[in-house]
Amino acid sequence: MAQTTTSKSGAHGVHAAHEAHHDHHELGFMSKYIFSSDHKVIGIQYGVTALIFLLFGFFLVGCMRWQLAYPGRAIPMIGGFLELLLGKDMAAGGIMQGDLYNAFGAMHGTIMVFLAIVPLAFGAFGNFVTPLQIGAPDMAFPRLNMASYHFYFFGGIVMFASFFIPGGAARSGWTSYSPLATTAQFGQAFNGQTAWLIGMVLLITSSLLGAVNFITTIIQLRTKGMSWMRMPFFVWAQFVTAFLLLLAFPPLEAAGILQLMDNVFHTSFFLPTGLVVNGAQLPVSGGGSPLLWQHLFWFLGHPEVYVLILPAMGIVSEVIANNTRKPLWGYKSMVYASICIGFLSFIVWAHHMYLTGMGTKISTFFQTTTMMISIPSVIILTALFISLWGGSIRFNTASLFALAFLPMFGIGGLTGLPLGFNASDIYLHDSYYVIGHFHYVVAPGTIFGLFAGIYFWYPKATGRFLNETLGKIHFWGSLVCMNLVFAPMFIQGFKGMSRRMYDGGATYFLETDPTALKLNIYITHSAIALGVFQLPFIWNFFASLFVGRKVTNDNPWDATTLDWATPTPPPHGNFLREPVVYRGPYEYSVPGAAKDFTPQNQPT
Amino acid sequence: MLMKTTLRFAAVSVLLAAVSTLQAGNVTGKVSLKGEAPAEKEITPLAKDPNCGKSYSKPATTRHYLVAADKGLANVFVYVKKGLAGKAFPAPAEKPLMDQKACLYQPYVMGARAGHPVMIKSSDDFMHNVNFAASKAGNDTFNFAQTKAGQVNEKTFKNVEVFAKLQCNVHPWMFGYIGVVDSPYYAVTDASGKYTIAGLADGKYTLAFIHLKAGEVLQEIEVKGGAAVNATLEVK
Repeated sequence: MAQTTTSKSGAHGVHAAHEAHHDHHELGFMSKYIFSSDHKVIGIQYGVTALIFLLFGFFLVGCMRWQLAYPGRAIPMIGGFLELLLGKDMAAGGIMQGDLYNAFGAMHGTIMVFLAIVPLAFGAFGNFVTPLQIGAPDMAFPRLNMASYHFYFFGGIVMFASFFIPGGAARSGWTSYSPLATTAQFGQAFNGQTAWLIGMVLLITSSLLGAVNFITTIIQLRTKGMSWMRMPFFVWAQFVTAFLLLLAFPPLEAAGILQLMDNVFHTSFFLPTGLVVNGAQLPVSGGGSPLLWQHLFWFLGHPEVYVLILPAMGIVSEVIANNTRKPLWGYKSMVYASICIGFLSFIVWAHHMYLTGMGTKISTFFQTTTMMISIPSVIILTALFISLWGGSIRFNTASLFALAFLPMFGIGGLTGLPLGFNASDIYLHDSYYVIGHFHYVVAPGTIFGLFAGIYFWYPKATGRFLNETLGKIHFWGSLVCMNLVFAPMFIQGFKGMSRRMYDGGATYFLETDPTALKLNIYITHSAIALGVFQLPFIWNFFASLFVGRKVTNDNPWDATTLDWATPTPPPHGNFLREPVVYRGPYEYSVPGAAKDFTPQNQPT
Repeated sequence: MLMKTTLRFAAVSVLLAAVSTLQAGNVTGKVSLKGEAPAEKEITPLAKDPNCGKSYSKPATTRHYLVAADKGLANVFVYVKKGLAGKAFPAPAEKPLMDQKACLYQPYVMGARAGHPVMIKSSDDFMHNVNFAASKAGNDTFNFAQTKAGQVNEKTFKNVEVFAKLQCNVHPWMFGYIGVVDSPYYAVTDASGKYTIAGLADGKYTLAFIHLKAGEVLQEIEVKGGAAVNATLEVK
């Protein structure tokens, strides 16, 4: 097959392979859309599946937000449907019951991180864009790539199906801390947590296959002239991300299997001796360590934060360079900073665990490394801010989302500093402040980066533009609502509101500080408005496939990188002839050049 | 001919029904407490809780021994413990209700039928959780929360359990007790210590009187168109 041609045998090699492909029969529906090994189709498969999960994850939290604002009131319209679907124990009278709240909470986190954002950032954009940007005909291991998507898909099915098994989905938080995760439904042989663990094993397998593939592709399949420092920053971001996934996920896979043993076969890897649950001693041998789970989880968990943010930074860099018509300021510093982040992200994990009483020496170590990792993050953000300076900025939708990413991620990052310090974290831990902080990083941060990417590469993937007016409604609505949703959470956190309260904190605040509870109502209304502002995007995404303005030029944004040197949409094998790279990735507005952009493959 | 047979059959049925009605009666009586009950304690955390405390002008107290002036003991669960084996009973017309009001379970003690639903309600506009850890095989442990006044959840205890203990972990002084039995012949003594078990068929039975603090007393009784059975429990 064409995509297995991995040698850099010159322009004729790929071209001949491409022609050879056309000598064969047209691919049938199954091999084109279900069992495709083409990185672009797999990227789109990842993208569409992840967007569906993104919407589903939002739906889950929408139900939770209703309960937080109006505890004990039936969820309008949806409540009855939930009762019908999930039973009285979960939604009696259309009211979200505590178990359902816990299940939706745990699954919101799991779905958003592992089934929506990582697959979108890494699986979709990484797959679609990386081979194009390095001038490769496909990924190094196309069938592995297909398997990666299929593992992801089945992981998603297992997670989704777990809502409908007796007792419902996992309900012990997205972090699945032991012993809660084992004891929450103890004695039920196959419960939501078991399904969660099986789903996670599938998802981790998918990520590992993807990571190996990305690393090999980026090392081996760069086209002629594509030296390391000529790679677009997006590719660097994906490269570091792939290493993070490769090295951070295996400990969680091992931990997941150990917890599976605890749940199903009643071993005690994570269960301490003499564990008493609800007044009765648990019939297990004990001797395990609950803290071990936390270490293994966060050893993945913190690099995972950078898995979420690095690809978004990569996308934002591409969009900003293109729309400011300027080279990225400090490209090399950004590359080194991202590598630095990669290394440091493996030695900061225990800043999630200050409250476990690890000891002051360990806490000091981790707060020091945590402060250190903020430096490369600030370097990247600063470089992107300075890149705007003096630019003739084009304010299209992609550009707006990328520009908004900068302050939003800035707020997310800076509010993380008090959590990195041991002393301030002890007060803020497990409060709404933490929710506000990481959602600023991930929602108006990463997700805005991903939206920027969708608006930017949609014309390349489909041959049609997304509608700009709808795009701008989507952007401004999302920007305002995201802030209305997440900014008040900092206030609630300072007031000491716990992030786990099923009643939105009424137990503690009803008499003492009703303002904190009023904020719950404002946040919920803003979240509903945020949902409404996604409707133009959903319509735009599908309708533009048919009615969107057609792309008349393979390089509609006047971009420099190789992804715009392909036909639109790129055919199987990507390039008509193997591209040769003569210059760096961001030669915009070069003095003396004929145009304000000089593509990487334009000969000197 | 057919008409005559039908009439005879109907007449016999009415007669039998009348006889069977005659053969059942109410078991009534009074439970008294022997000994001096210790003074009830104030529930100080309740008084200090901003949500709960506002419902009380004077501090709420424990309900360990509610004794009338004539030593009648309230909250004694009375039920037929033996003598009903193999008998089936119609489903109850009403579902018993356990309420959470002003941060206390109301009633403190009540009865219910195994296999039939019990309503658990909150009359408070803030969160209670209802935590039940089953101690008898077949009963399902549950733990759910209610956040708004008027919220009702139904739960069914599949097996006999005297007492099924409900507790709220948000307000750790809140306990409610349900005597779950497999017949409709149970009662809880009122404030004067009196009880009535209605419609018990003639026969010999063992009647159990069980109190959370004073323990259990059994009495062999014979019902003939009703019975009057008093009992005495001692302070423990």
